[in-house]
Amino acid sequence: MTSSHASFQYVTDDFTGYNVLVTGASGVLGSGVAQALRDAGAQVTVLQRSASGLDGVHEIRGSVTDPETAHHAVQGMDTVVHIAAKVSVSGSAKEYEQVNIEGTRTLLTAAQTTGVSRWIHISSPSVAHSGASIIGAEAEPANPDTARGNYAATKAAGELLALAADSEQFRVLVLRPHLMWGPGDTQLTERIIDRARQNRLPLLDGGTALVDTLFLLNAVEAIVTAINAVDTTHGEALVLTNGQPRPIGEMIRRIAVAGGAEEPTLDLPAGLAKAAGSVIEAFWDAEKRGDEPPITRFLAEQMSTAHWFDQRRTQRILQWKPRISLEEGFQLTKQHYGS
Amino acid sequence: MISPKPAQYPHSVLDPLQLPGWDPRWSQIVEAETCDGTRQFHVLDTGPMLADRGIGPDDIDAIVIAVHGNPTWSYLWRHIAQAGLEAAQGNVELGPGAGRAPVIRVIAPDQLDMGFSERLEHTSLPSAAGSSSSYRTLEQRIYDLDAVVAELISDSNKAPVFSLGHDWGGIISLGWATDADVRSSGSGVEPSGMISLNTAVWHEESDPIPAPLQAALAGPVLSGSTVVTPAFLDTTLALGQPALAKDIKTAYKAPYRGRQDRGGIGGFVADIPATESHRSRNALRKVANQLSSTEKPALLLWGAKDPVFLDRYQHDLLQRIDDVVIHRYNTAGHLLAEDRDISVPVLGWIRQQLDGDNRPTPDLTAARGSEAVGDYSPLWSFLDQWSESSTKAMVDMTINDAHGKPFEVTWAKLSSMVDAIAVGFRENGMRPGDRVSMLVEPGRDLTAALYAVLRVGGVAVVTDAGLGVDGMTRAIRSAAPQWIIGQTPGLSLARIGNLPGKRLSVKTMDPIARRVLGLSGSIYGFASTYAGQQYGPTAEQPDPNPTDDAAILFTSGSTGPAKGVRYTHQKLSALTQRLQHTLHVEPGSSLLAGFAPFALLGPAIGATSVTPNMSVTKPATLTAKSLAQAAIAGDTTMIFASPAALRNVVDTAHELNTEQRTALEQISMLLSAGAPVPVPLMNEVLELVPNAEFHSPYGMTESLLISDIDHHTQHAIAGRDDRGVCVGKPLDVARVAMAPLDFLGRSSDELFEGDNAVNKLAEIVISTPHMLAGYDKLYNTNRQTRVDSVDGLQWHRTGDIGHFDEHGRLWIEGRTQHIVTPSTGAFGPGGPEDDIQRLPSINRVAIVGVGPVGTQAIVAVVEPHDGDIKPGLAPSALSDDVRAATDIDIAAVLVTHRVPVDIRHNSKINRPLLAEWAEKVLAGGKVTAL
Repeated sequence: MTSSHASFQYVTDDFTGYNVLVTGASGVLGSGVAQALRDAGAQVTVLQRSASGLDGVHEIRGSVTDPETAHHAVQGMDTVVHIAAKVSVSGSAKEYEQVNIEGTRTLLTAAQTTGVSRWIHISSPSVAHSGASIIGAEAEPANPDTARGNYAATKAAGELLALAADSEQFRVLVLRPHLMWGPGDTQLTERIIDRARQNRLPLLDGGTALVDTLFLLNAVEAIVTAINAVDTTHGEALVLTNGQPRPIGEMIRRIAVAGGAEEPTLDLPAGLAKAAGSVIEAFWDAEKRGDEPPITRFLAEQMSTAHWFDQRRTQRILQWKPRISLEEGFQLTKQHYGS
Repeated sequence: MISPKPAQYPHSVLDPLQLPGWDPRWSQIVEAETCDGTRQFHVLDTGPMLADRGIGPDDIDAIVIAVHGNPTWSYLWRHIAQAGLEAAQGNVELGPGAGRAPVIRVIAPDQLDMGFSERLEHTSLPSAAGSSSSYRTLEQRIYDLDAVVAELISDSNKAPVFSLGHDWGGIISLGWATDADVRSSGSGVEPSGMISLNTAVWHEESDPIPAPLQAALAGPVLSGSTVVTPAFLDTTLALGQPALAKDIKTAYKAPYRGRQDRGGIGGFVADIPATESHRSRNALRKVANQLSSTEKPALLLWGAKDPVFLDRYQHDLLQRIDDVVIHRYNTAGHLLAEDRDISVPVLGWIRQQLDGDNRPTPDLTAARGSEAVGDYSPLWSFLDQWSESSTKAMVDMTINDAHGKPFEVTWAKLSSMVDAIAVGFRENGMRPGDRVSMLVEPGRDLTAALYAVLRVGGVAVVTDAGLGVDGMTRAIRSAAPQWIIGQTPGLSLARIGNLPGKRLSVKTMDPIARRVLGLSGSIYGFASTYAGQQYGPTAEQPDPNPTDDAAILFTSGSTGPAKGVRYTHQKLSALTQRLQHTLHVEPGSSLLAGFAPFALLGPAIGATSVTPNMSVTKPATLTAKSLAQAAIAGDTTMIFASPAALRNVVDTAHELNTEQRTALEQISMLLSAGAPVPVPLMNEVLELVPNAEFHSPYGMTESLLISDIDHHTQHAIAGRDDRGVCVGKPLDVARVAMAPLDFLGRSSDELFEGDNAVNKLAEIVISTPHMLAGYDKLYNTNRQTRVDSVDGLQWHRTGDIGHFDEHGRLWIEGRTQHIVTPSTGAFGPGGPEDDIQRLPSINRVAIVGVGPVGTQAIVAVVEPHDGDIKPGLAPSALSDDVRAATDIDIAAVLVTHRVPVDIRHNSKINRPLLAEWAEKVLAGGKVTAL
């Protein structure tokens, strides 16, 4: 499948006069945030290794792990939206540490010394998740020791660094979007569609675990809104979801169908899938293959325990509500992949 | 043999993690001057912690002195200590309208030789002889308690003090609270009230002490089981209902690990004055006498499943203390403080004691509400008035006479039978106020026995067969009747369940059966022995007072153990007036009850009672034919039937012949009972009874009639899109107020009526002349449901939710415990269920919430007609249909093959059970059977 970023009409406040650095703008979330801010009147600088393909923004190519690049990127900025991260679900611990911890530290140091006053930090609910069910809970503190897997553990450490830097002069707000999906998302959406098309996507234990997800457009708008919210509330982490939990089996079915695949039917018991996930992960690591394993332990857990959140505090602090419902999201996804 | 040891801080010998729920900051070591010198006590005292939080002595609403029993320690009171602290943070809710939870300081000493208090020196093991020894006696322990109180409560304290106790600590705390001599020469504290959990202050010498204690008291067993081994400790800790968690048991055992630590356990058992000559006998008698004369208010909280503190000790306390209320937990046990949350009832009761009764004076001339009871007329008025009438009082199609004709009895005959039986009751010792359990199937025998019991002033205890054997046994035990009237099945149940009360049979039995069942007489025997004798009213045979209790009703249908609903003669008199009015009863009216208990009402409202041929407990066995035959035999003008019965009548209507159809055409009134009748069924029924008004009253055991809707109104509202089921306008004598739900689904403190109540989703709160007098032995339930005092009237929070439309019609949308609370605001499940129910593919549906209150995910559990759909996550097409049918955001649609409903009505959905199931499935668990 060829991936292309959908261009949405975002609804945001006016950000004329803001100078914003967005990191990780080659990804679907980062490029969405950069576009939305650009359209809202902000002067946008983007920093990432590959080309963003965006017009109307100042583009810096490079890595956040490089102090010079970082220093250069934050010059003249009042706001940083830090999205860049190593996000895949497999890989060596070192790679994750370099980007998610050291890269964050490098950029934070640069930003603090150059007069940046707002830091919107994109994290993940997995930073506080030790494997048990989450049923209508608020954001718990990040914990690198109990977070599962390299990604979550390093994101937890990165989040703690950002929160430790919070002050009245350098206001930090952490957002943890949960299971983002939508047109152009390669992480979850297109994997589901691909694998469902190949009939390689199992559902676990009937797929009844209730999970929160977040439609991409809503994620972008929430992050942009946070640039206003951080002026009054900072120094904490908020989980970000559509506020519409669904059984994981149903979500996958609907995303697959929206992408033009058949409904997946393969049913694996969760225990078996977890075991299989570990084996496959190790195998992929050993082979150093570029492709992702079909299922990993992390995903298996995601798919066999409930993960849904109390969104009341998030919505109150951000003064934001998801504008696109899941149902509308499925429609938009269908339009995108149908054309 | 046992060496002395000073008091200890628990956390000096234990890792705090070994005492879950315990805060080390509560621990104090207090030195107090006791009868034999200075002694050290370990005391739980939350005073210092409150002070640390800025809550000084003047900010404390009350002090609770809590005394543990044997073999526990002050760990028993950790929940109440925590609740007192939480109340200071505003974190304890006593329920809508109940006021602010009082801030209480809890002082709970470990008794000497117990818990972490000082161990005394003992040269020998304790023995039951009760001779002088080094072990503490009851009298000493009362002095000890006062000595500790004297050290901790300063003279300047102004906060009211309440005592709280459990087990043997109950006796000590009650004894201390009522012994002015001990306190005036010591602490000088004057308690304002007393609270006790399971305890016993008295038993007669002839009254055997409970078997478990007898065993413990037997000779060398005493020291063996209590001191040398931890058997007594282990046995007590095994009494949790449900079982205590392992870490909690370990915490209780912490101070009693070695035999050197357990002397007090044996000493306590040895101090039970099992014999007249026991050294603590007089002290116990003194406590009992003090309780008999005290004017202090008392609250008893009682776990019914206690093998030691049996119901007879509870009854003794209820008789002995003048100003006492009780909450009896039918399914909790000896360790009630572990089994249930007692802090809310304790704080709620203290709140009430602090506030006093602020109820305004009611307007006794009011036309509506609890005081509008009208002129009192006894339930047997028609039996008196028509004592010479030869018209039919009862027709019972289930019984044939010698000629094969249905059984009939005239008013004259019924009247004289009731008189004769009443005389028999009185002659055999039944007295006004005696509770009489009626284990008789509905029919003529029950009717005769019931009116005779009422006549004598007995309190009829009626238990619905739908409760099942366990439910009935629990209910009867709770009611504690002095008498049980039954036929063989009922009396056998009483015998197997070891239920209290003297036994009377219906029919006269042979001598062997009489002995086996322990019978004191029979109804039929009384009817013939005392035939022709009139019952009172005389000094010997007085009429009951209108305000005396007349009946306690235990019904099935709602979830949880059945509650005893108490009615006085006056309230039942008001009910009969209301029924006469609603049913348009006039001389010659004849009531055919397709729901057996309603046949009982006939004699009280002056209508012929007709019982059709059907299974008493299964309404759905009523056929059109048996209905019509009964109508012919009884010249019936009105029919009372449940929706399930009506369904079957319609389904069997093709069997009717012309004569039977004509008989049904004579019916002028039809009432549905128990649950709402769907309009299509109502229309089908109306084709069979074309001349009838079809009424669907709304009510409950707590007030049988609240509102009423007829079929004209049903048709008129057909196009409305209100949520829920319309039950019409309130009766003209009823006041129906609304307590609107807040965003989290909690009912408001304030009540709204009239225009102010329109279109607010609210808990329904009623005040009717014929409402319950209260729940029996359920203090906390009464406190929560009878909390309102608008216009000085008695009100009842029904637990039903719904709204008034702009025409003043009431719509029911479910129960408070069924409220779903997503982040978009609370709602009742009734409305969306109606929407989904209209889908042709759906047989039944329940809407439930899973997750925390205020942010719940909404789940639709559906039972599709198509039985081939696998239980679990619904297929996409079905989910799409269900979501499209309603405007709420449904997180998941789950399929089950059986949405559970109650047995009797076959319509009330057990939503709490479904919510629990859905929560498990949606947590990622297996799709289990319901």
